[in-house]
Amino acid sequence: MAATEATRVAYYKGCLASLSAKELDISTQALAPKLGLELDELESVTCCGAGDIHEAEPDYYLHLNARILAYAEQTGCETLMTICNVCTLNLRQANWQLKNDDNLRARVSANLETVGAPPYDGTVDVKHLLWLIAEGDGFERLKTVAHKGLKGLKVAPFYGCQILRPSKLLGFEDPDQPWSLEAIIEACGGEPVDYPAKIKCCGFPIIQAREETALGELIQPIEQASEAGADAIVTPCPLCHLSLDAWQSKLRKQTGKDFAMPILHLSQLIGVAAGLEESELKFKRHVVSVAPVVQKLEA
Amino acid sequence: MDVALKIWRYDPESGERDLREYEVDAPEWACLLDVLDLIKDKHDGTLAYRKSCRMMICGSCGMRMDGRAVLACKERMKPIADAGHVPVISAMGNLPILKDLVVDMEPFWGKIRAMKPWLDPGYDEVAAKERVVSQQQMNAIHKEALCIMCGCCVSECNSMESDPEFLGPAALAKGFRFVGDVRDQADVARLNDYNQDHGIWDCTRCYFCNERCPKGVDPRDAIAKLGAESIRLNIDHDMGAKHAKWFVTSAKTTGWLRETELVPKTQGTLAAIKQIGFALDLAKHGKVPPPFPPHVAKNVREARDLHDLVREQGREGAAGIVQGEHALAQIEHVLSADPDSAPASRIAPEKSGGKSGGD
Repeated sequence: MAATEATRVAYYKGCLASLSAKELDISTQALAPKLGLELDELESVTCCGAGDIHEAEPDYYLHLNARILAYAEQTGCETLMTICNVCTLNLRQANWQLKNDDNLRARVSANLETVGAPPYDGTVDVKHLLWLIAEGDGFERLKTVAHKGLKGLKVAPFYGCQILRPSKLLGFEDPDQPWSLEAIIEACGGEPVDYPAKIKCCGFPIIQAREETALGELIQPIEQASEAGADAIVTPCPLCHLSLDAWQSKLRKQTGKDFAMPILHLSQLIGVAAGLEESELKFKRHVVSVAPVVQKLEA
Repeated sequence: MDVALKIWRYDPESGERDLREYEVDAPEWACLLDVLDLIKDKHDGTLAYRKSCRMMICGSCGMRMDGRAVLACKERMKPIADAGHVPVISAMGNLPILKDLVVDMEPFWGKIRAMKPWLDPGYDEVAAKERVVSQQQMNAIHKEALCIMCGCCVSECNSMESDPEFLGPAALAKGFRFVGDVRDQADVARLNDYNQDHGIWDCTRCYFCNERCPKGVDPRDAIAKLGAESIRLNIDHDMGAKHAKWFVTSAKTTGWLRETELVPKTQGTLAAIKQIGFALDLAKHGKVPPPFPPHVAKNVREARDLHDLVREQGREGAAGIVQGEHALAQIEHVLSADPDSAPASRIAPEKSGGKSGGD
């Protein structure tokens, strides 16, 4: 029983999907209508600060995120949809603070108005694309949308950190036993592969300042998913994607092991099962070749 | 009620490690620690674990249940027994195991000591009058002062797993307890110490520490406060600080992250040039977006003006994080007062259940 009416959501794509991970934005825009999501893309918005502005100038972080929330509120949508773990946590953290502290919201809103931005009344909910698909209408639609299936492709889910923890701010699912990616992989006709590092860190936040420590984290999902026989890893976060995909060559150099694990964005995994074209999936933008996955599905 | 547990035993003399199952009859109010006591009293006197206060204040009984670091005295067993679940109990992670559930806390204490965890008031002679500190001033370090040094935050720290020398969440939270204390006059010296390798900027933001802390300290937030204070005081020589500052520069100039410039701005031009082979490989796949023309957000002037405006309002540094804690502290109250407001999806629906190839 598929729902018929589309849900309009304010779409915040964040930095990476506008830049090095354009394939995430392109595949999300192509997939969304099939899943009953009408994307109202926010234009007058900036970076959420990615945890870095929260650490460098936290008051500015709060204001930048309030401004994003205010522009989302102006669209009249109840939901601000994100496609990045880090954006999700940053926006939800700011949103909780602004919604639950009238004095703080009054001060921040006044500042927004001073610079010509709309004030924020605290009416928006921030949800990741993963959650919108995994619950309710999205999941029902998925079963019909994913008509091409995944032919039993073995897919290792990689959640990353900031869509699970801190659970008091994210709270969609049990942070130690998440289920949403597995449910989506199954619904698309794939076989979820289980491995311990699926809820751990990919190392991306410190990959430039502390590369060695970051690579020590990154190797875990790549190695464990490979050993578990996965054909590909899927992740809901473009930062995890960049680290898993682009830095894999450094793991090869460091360990001498022949890692070649294709890494898919969530929208690409569903997109393949839904029959999106290469022009909408943009696998050529990946550093690790996705060809083995495509060949397996075309066989 | 019948309670079953599996416990990872470790015998340091033989070096053997094995998983043993125990079943005991325990009162319905029993917590994990009570069940361990019953096992030790009635079944196996050789089981080793630490305990003392039984009321979540001494920090002795940190251990893992199903891979999660918990205080044994805080975990009620009834819902687990009712569900027919047999949890696996093991020693905390990131610390050497001495016997069964007992870890060697020495590396933990060494890192706490490295923070110089005592007040440095900046004078030798005691003043004639007492120094009054306001409640508001103490609120700035309220959360960090709650730490009972149980080690639960350290147990699953992803950075420490990769770099055992990382000072880690407990020690760094202790550091902010002093940096944020108005009576302490050594904040610059402390921050210079904490800014060294294996310090503030080694945190990978996995948030396991916030998730595990049984007392609401939120160590990751404390680390962010140390970062914010460092940058406020221009202690910004570390690559991590430069990385963080580049996001601010990006937001107030183009609005979006100036991604390609992030590497030279973090690592310096020379180090960036050494990475040229790696960068070229990424560039082939469009992963190095050209910085020109810049990707500028619409109405970016608002973001610029906002930056100047908030800087004038005196909430720089850690104060910018502390101001949000009043609201964040309400999360548990809101959820416990109205359990229906918790997302229904928290537990996996029947349809997934993590089973593959099932019906």
